[in-house]
Amino acid sequence: MTGSPLNILVCLKFIPDPNQLQADAEGHPDLARAPFRISTFDENAIEAGLQLAAQNGGRVFGLSVLAGAMPPRDVLLRSLAMGLEALYLVKDENKNAVGPYRLALALAGAVRAIQAAENISSFDVLITGEASADQFNAQVGPRVAVALDIPAITYATKLAIEQGKLIAHRSTENTSETLEADLPALVTVGNEINQARIPTVLQVMGASKKPVKELPIGELPGFDLEEPKDRPCLRTLDITAPPSSRKRIIVVGDNPEEMAANLLSLLGADGEVKV
Amino acid sequence: MDNQQILVFSESSDALVELLTAGRSLCGPEGRVTAVAIGPTAAAIAQDCLARGADEALVLQTPEGSRPGPEELVLGLLEAVSVASPATILVGATRTGADVMARLAQALGVPCASSCMALRRDEEGNLEIERRVYGGRFTAKQVLKGNPQVVSIPPSRFPKAEPVKDAAGSSKVLEVTLPAPRVRVQATSPRVRSSVDMTKAEIIIAAGRGIKKVEDLSMLEELAAALGGVLAGSRPLTGDVDWLPTDRRIGLSGQTVKPNLYMACGISGQIEHIVGMKGARTVVAINNDPKAPIHVESDYSVIGNLYEIVPAFLKAFEKANRS
Repeated sequence: MTGSPLNILVCLKFIPDPNQLQADAEGHPDLARAPFRISTFDENAIEAGLQLAAQNGGRVFGLSVLAGAMPPRDVLLRSLAMGLEALYLVKDENKNAVGPYRLALALAGAVRAIQAAENISSFDVLITGEASADQFNAQVGPRVAVALDIPAITYATKLAIEQGKLIAHRSTENTSETLEADLPALVTVGNEINQARIPTVLQVMGASKKPVKELPIGELPGFDLEEPKDRPCLRTLDITAPPSSRKRIIVVGDNPEEMAANLLSLLGADGEVKV
Repeated sequence: MDNQQILVFSESSDALVELLTAGRSLCGPEGRVTAVAIGPTAAAIAQDCLARGADEALVLQTPEGSRPGPEELVLGLLEAVSVASPATILVGATRTGADVMARLAQALGVPCASSCMALRRDEEGNLEIERRVYGGRFTAKQVLKGNPQVVSIPPSRFPKAEPVKDAAGSSKVLEVTLPAPRVRVQATSPRVRSSVDMTKAEIIIAAGRGIKKVEDLSMLEELAAALGGVLAGSRPLTGDVDWLPTDRRIGLSGQTVKPNLYMACGISGQIEHIVGMKGARTVVAINNDPKAPIHVESDYSVIGNLYEIVPAFLKAFEKANRS
């Protein structure tokens, strides 16, 4: 361990699980029937924060802005069961912080509010998933860094604190980079960085004793509820799923050899392989 | 409102010349496509863009050996935006591009649309776009209103702009002094790349988490070789562990392929993966979990142990082709 204990904040999003999301009769996503979960890369963000704190000493807090349907309590508590110190929630009932631009401003305001509430002069490290598993915009992390005017490293695959600096590996399509940033800094992570822990039963039980605190959206420092009317905007016209036309045939057989032979003759009949 | 000025930027010179095509398709011959080049080879990149029909190139040359990061790139782009006052800004949707676009849009106080698969100008000058959401299972049709409209486009979505005979564009230097970077590069190394073009493969054997050890990939390599196909992988095998090069990754964060035959071996079928192989003509899933989502996206499902099925299939195939 080196240096002073870290204060780390993870921004997370609770989403309807895309892997369990079905299309309704009209081909639109049936959001009400998909169970909530922590967005996948945000679980990696929590894990990354916990590991940094374990190596350097420190505390990890969580922050989420909730718009639309409320996630069930057990899903909220899962983040605490993983090891967060406290979870801060901003309820956005009137959709004042919808879309990455407004959301980043609200998150930046919430960061300031939590710093004041926890008596932290400034978080050392902010961590977000590289993109949410539902919208996959990959915007909020870098936007929050701009809103807070702090350096950011996106797509980090390894994190460490050395002599008061953040050292991160970042991978792009063509290169692997080792980067150094002054603190405070924001990082975004995907699932390359770690395998997120699964909380134990004991941790799940203990989570209900940890604090879940609400920050009123109207009281976030620097966040103006009123959006100027003539701002450029992004409107969603429609969301649809193209129907799948797969055959969905289960290849039968009493043993692996028979199944393999049956698969081969099916593919042969389709002309996909030579038989 | 001038809808005819399009600003294009990518730190990847290949993606940049694709964006020239995308920009021209939006604004037509009457409009202006302005390329932004930032970095130690900016002048050469700008010349290439002009030779390929860009109306103007805005150049921010940085010292030899420098690697301007997203924060510095955005400072250059903000100056380019104030010089060109574009209606639309197109950015290549690489990892760095995604980062740059989000920062640029926040600094400009505007929304932006990530990784657009299609874009079209409507009668009112708005930009209609299509992008994949919910892990790629759904397509969102959205519209960007107001200027500037900021959009990112994945690489290879548009063909590269070809050199033109009557290139008449000129370049202009961006007057920006970059501050000392807050994120400093300590080291870089190229990532391992394979020489195979996955997008042209007719048969793909794809490996997933069901593969237990890196050595076991040889079983699938053998199958790929026998069928005349290539070996690919899902994100766990090309990222969590480096068993396969990243450019062999199929899925939302990797390649989109359309082979005749796609055999998913030990792949559960997270939609991040499905997006990449949806275009396959025939899909086979070999997976011991009957509930794995991959089966819904398959023509033929073999519910069984891939360590038994794959060797048996290879044996049967070789036998059939010997006799």
